[in-house]
Amino acid sequence: MAQNLHTVDAVAINRFKDYSNTGFFDEMFGTGFVAQDHYQQINSRLSQIGDSELETKQQQVASSFLEHGVTFTVYGETEGTERIFPFDLIPRIIPSDEWHEIEQGLVQRIIALNLFLNDIYKDSKIIKDGVIPREVVESSPHYRAEMVGFNVPKDIYIHICGSDLIRDEKGRYLVLEDNARCPSGVSYLLENREIMKKAFPRTYREMSVCPVEAYPDLLLKTLEYLSPRNSGKPVCVLLTPGVYNSAYFEHTYLARQMGIEIVEGKDLITIEDFLFMRTTHGLVQVDVIYRRLDDNFLDPSFFKNDSLLGVSGLMNCYLKGNVSLANGIGTGVADDKVTYAYVPEMIRYYLAQEPILEQVPTYLCWREDDRKFVLENLQDLVIKPANESGGYGMLIGSSSSRKEREEFSDRIKKSPRDYIAQPIVSLSRHPTFCDGSIEGRHVDLRPFVLYGDDIEIVPGGLTRVALQKDSLVVNSSQGGGSKDTWVLKG
Amino acid sequence: MLSRVADTLWWMSRFVERAEGVTRIVQVHRDSDLETEFSQGAAEYWNSALIALYAQNEFEVGKFKDPGSFIIFSPQWIGSVINCVNAARENARMVRDQLSEEIWVELNNLYHFLNSEDAHSNFATEESKFYARIIRFSLIFQGLSDATIHQDEGWRFMTLGKYLERADLTSRVLDTLTLLGSEPTRLDLIRALRSCSAFSAFKKKYRGALTLSNVADLLLFSEDFPRSLRFSLRCIDSQLHEISAVPSGSFTNEAERLSGRALAHMNFSDINSMISQGLHESIDEIQKLLIAVGQSIFETYVLLPSEINSTTPLQKLQSQMQQQ
Repeated sequence: MAQNLHTVDAVAINRFKDYSNTGFFDEMFGTGFVAQDHYQQINSRLSQIGDSELETKQQQVASSFLEHGVTFTVYGETEGTERIFPFDLIPRIIPSDEWHEIEQGLVQRIIALNLFLNDIYKDSKIIKDGVIPREVVESSPHYRAEMVGFNVPKDIYIHICGSDLIRDEKGRYLVLEDNARCPSGVSYLLENREIMKKAFPRTYREMSVCPVEAYPDLLLKTLEYLSPRNSGKPVCVLLTPGVYNSAYFEHTYLARQMGIEIVEGKDLITIEDFLFMRTTHGLVQVDVIYRRLDDNFLDPSFFKNDSLLGVSGLMNCYLKGNVSLANGIGTGVADDKVTYAYVPEMIRYYLAQEPILEQVPTYLCWREDDRKFVLENLQDLVIKPANESGGYGMLIGSSSSRKEREEFSDRIKKSPRDYIAQPIVSLSRHPTFCDGSIEGRHVDLRPFVLYGDDIEIVPGGLTRVALQKDSLVVNSSQGGGSKDTWVLKG
Repeated sequence: MLSRVADTLWWMSRFVERAEGVTRIVQVHRDSDLETEFSQGAAEYWNSALIALYAQNEFEVGKFKDPGSFIIFSPQWIGSVINCVNAARENARMVRDQLSEEIWVELNNLYHFLNSEDAHSNFATEESKFYARIIRFSLIFQGLSDATIHQDEGWRFMTLGKYLERADLTSRVLDTLTLLGSEPTRLDLIRALRSCSAFSAFKKKYRGALTLSNVADLLLFSEDFPRSLRFSLRCIDSQLHEISAVPSGSFTNEAERLSGRALAHMNFSDINSMISQGLHESIDEIQKLLIAVGQSIFETYVLLPSEINSTTPLQKLQSQMQQQ
């Protein structure tokens, strides 16, 4: 044989010969040209694989996701199309000390947010002390006046929180928003890890990555902790909107991993303020609901609407303390983007600490001075609706047309409470395999925080990546994909 | 187990069985198309199959020229193989927590295959492989259902669905022989047996005595052939009693009462009396019983009494699910 199969180094390719990271913080190269230490092993692994091998692996991963039904549904005018959440094979690496700081920052934040919710639905001290205007709280569309005076089980409102983190051009982690209602995406985090262990087994082992597989157990523990009954094993269920919901895969996935029932509203019935599920052998009492529906869909009789997804009488069961809900009712105030602007103040007020994680400076259009500034500087700002998710309804000033800016200007003047503005942050980028070559793409990070008896965060989170060149929008509904996130053991 | 889950598993399993059975009917017709004797009366034979599947009207108004591809691919006819597989998969999606990964992957793969461009080209170029793929899927599905999940109540509802569907299919295949308009030929009888995978079983029991009476005897009354009506009804009855834990031979609900009656009907009747009563009429009667058994299972285990006549506005429900 003329060929020597063992000279890997001789055929090693410089993957990053033409890679450009100017103008942004790059997760792998920072602001320099040499891969950072924690990326060395990935760098050398990548230099051993040819483009076609990478391409093949990428395709195998995609068809495996399709085969296992790891999909979400996009609804258009006609029928739903099932898609896989695009996945990129190059993992994001977070060194342990960096993660440690993120973790502490997230713990601090979820404690403060919960204290805030307990406060505003009880004594409103933070309002009386003039830290947050009453107007801000009560004008939030997700504020639930019905909850005033109610003691939520264990004083926890937000049991599951998904906070989105980004990094600026200097590499500082900033909190972009908190998802305190029904954050989704954790099933992709878990599936991504399974697939990466198959695609890069050796590298994975060599780098000693913190495992994430405990999430479903931790989630179940968080739910069971809430049970109103002390005896026996609590009956926990996951309440889904149903099979036509875009996150339905995640709902079945989590129910299966926790070994609990996934229920729809029609499976449940209330009798004298207790909640039951309907089984083939009669009614079974339910203690805890992990609900993946918005507040006002939960109970048509209480919220006075035509929801077909909820259960009439559920809210009375909840308010009597006979069933617990995760997350609690009314948490949406905490992820309102106007409230977000006050989170650093909350942390100082409740905890007498400085925020560990910084966040993006935010202009509130309902404040006159801010609004004036925003309207004069639209082209340099991102304008966001205060209460939308999925990356919809935004204006990125620098890439907007005059007409779009005028439209937003009108909207802001018409309903200033509904808009906030932030400077355009150049999200960090990460090497990503796109159409046969590796290029930098913008990323964010959504860790999942669980608040039960303890506060638990599985190391890392879901790294979302904007697959379109130069795009800053990482949402799955708008061309985003994801990566596995490897937090290294300390 | 949740009533809705029981119902979903039951339907999933019925649709898989139906996809297999209907595919077999097409496959068998195609195979016999090759015989000259058959090709002369082809239209008539296809006609009897369409009548037995209650698909005649849809075929006539549809745009499919060929009954075979209509039965496999028609998007309009609810009983087409592709619709059965899609429905089975939609049901499976709702109860994935009850299924093993292997079961899901098999069903999901067939779903993606049948809904791809490949399916049509594969059907055109390698027809026999195409049928074999669907039938093999169903057999793997059944094997995995017996080998990879708990044989608990969910499995019992799957088993109930399978046998109820199978009993229905077998009765329809047999009925095709009464719908021909003339005495069935030797080839017709073979075709019916093959449609139920019963040809070798038949030879073993009756050797060469290929008569309508013997074929009907096997498909209706065999005690140990797993596609006969009697065998299927015995499985249905015994699963119902396993679910309720009430001894066989007595009943505590309408489902058990009707299945017991249907089984007794098969246990204490014979082929001669059915033929003298008229085979088609007898089969009709059995089919009505099967429908009643299915309906009573639904009413006993799924619906609350107050809901039996209520309906949900489906479109509104779907759009609310999507908004969340």
